[in-house]
Amino acid sequence: MSTNQSTGVASKRAYLVAIAVILFFWQVAAWFLPDFLMPDVPAAFVRLWEEFNSPTFWEGLGNSMTRLGAGYGSAILLGTVVGLVGGTLDAVRSTLKAAIIILQSIPSIAWVPLFLILMGFGNLPIIVVVAIGAFFPTALSVMNATESVEKVHISAARVMGASRLQMLKRVYFPAVTPELITGAQLAFGNAWRALISAEMIVGFSAGLGKSLAYSGEIADMTGVMTNILVIAVLAAVIDQVILERIKHRLLRYQYL
Amino acid sequence: MELQFRQVTKSFGDLSVIKQFDTLIETGEIVALVGPSGCGKSTLLHMVAGLQSASTGTLTADGKPVSKPSPERTLVFQEHALYPWMTLIENVALALEFQDQPKQTAQEEARKWLARVKLSGFEEYYPHQVSGGMRQRCALARAFIARPQVLLLDEPFGALDALTRMTLQSVLKDLIEAERPTVVLVTHDVDEALYLADRVLVFSNRPATVLKEITLGHIPKTHDLSAFADIRRDVLNLLGIDTETTSPSVEKGETV
Repeated sequence: MSTNQSTGVASKRAYLVAIAVILFFWQVAAWFLPDFLMPDVPAAFVRLWEEFNSPTFWEGLGNSMTRLGAGYGSAILLGTVVGLVGGTLDAVRSTLKAAIIILQSIPSIAWVPLFLILMGFGNLPIIVVVAIGAFFPTALSVMNATESVEKVHISAARVMGASRLQMLKRVYFPAVTPELITGAQLAFGNAWRALISAEMIVGFSAGLGKSLAYSGEIADMTGVMTNILVIAVLAAVIDQVILERIKHRLLRYQYL
Repeated sequence: MELQFRQVTKSFGDLSVIKQFDTLIETGEIVALVGPSGCGKSTLLHMVAGLQSASTGTLTADGKPVSKPSPERTLVFQEHALYPWMTLIENVALALEFQDQPKQTAQEEARKWLARVKLSGFEEYYPHQVSGGMRQRCALARAFIARPQVLLLDEPFGALDALTRMTLQSVLKDLIEAERPTVVLVTHDVDEALYLADRVLVFSNRPATVLKEITLGHIPKTHDLSAFADIRRDVLNLLGIDTETTSPSVEKGETV
């Protein structure tokens, strides 16, 4: 426990140093470039403060988070189910895996034109694109982990008389949870990239991506940098705070 | 439960593992299968558990052919068969939960069984937090809680040090005497077989055939096996261990 805590503190310190270094390079760039090309760090933070006080910002943030939640959430759920079932069915496993590997290589943003026309202008195509980005790494991680569940754990459940459903719920699912979480963290990166780029392209109602694209269009560089700042901070918070916390909770037994 | 093997053979492709095995194991009898490693005795055990099937011949339990696992024929594995994501009490309770007993009842029963194997106070520990001997005590509790009619033991204490092994053998002996299941024990350890079993079957190298059958009868025994010295020497000789000469067997041209 103590070793985990100390590495936790060490990584927190590393994060603070990294943030300072990044902000420093940004500021150096701002000193060399004119203000209308690269705003000062303080200028961006002032704008950020103004944004915090504007209802449009919160509306955009809310929209983006809703799309992320719907797309990412359903992808994790579906990816887990497909991975578990696919991983335990010898007949379909290798075909399914090959299909996932092929589809995974398509950048999720490439699906936008298709879904925009299929589903119409709205939230749905963005959510679907986010879900596609997150689904494949989740399903693949879970499927690989399912294949390598220890034989003795499966045999033990069988001699105890476990039904197929009990086996999935009580043996396979907990056994693959560590890989599911790794997959879900990878999937989050994909989902986040898909969300911002889809919002930038589709531009349907307020959102972080749309706001960034709009600032670019009107050459408001302070707006661009502020939006990038928000996107970066949010991603780090979701990944490093929320997902890490869920991981520690689900894998509690490993940290004792 | 009575187990009847009739002309049982098992081969994996061209590899013949068991050759025409015949025996009748009576209800409540304790039979040990002793033989060189990889000779196919574990395969016999897995057949009784319903995890593997015979290539030819029949195996019946109380006259009914064994085709699939059933909680009335339970198996204790060598090690690592406890689920690392569950506490000891959850591991033991699982055997009842798989038989659709309510969680509450299962937990209460599990607490009692952990007490019977002297693990009170360790209910909420995870398997990796306790010693190998304690893990196998827990595995015994998990096997006995379902009140199996046949208890199958596959090298249950093979991974433990000599002293822990003897303690665990006593624990097992007490449990068997109290619960009176039919027992089939696979072991390398001749002393373990002599201490626990009513009948010992000595197997040859692959394909496994019975070299000798020794009936000890159900007599009270202690770890002092000096009364069995002749039988012990006999079994060791059958297994290729030289008990006559004092020089190391390597000098007799045995390949190492």
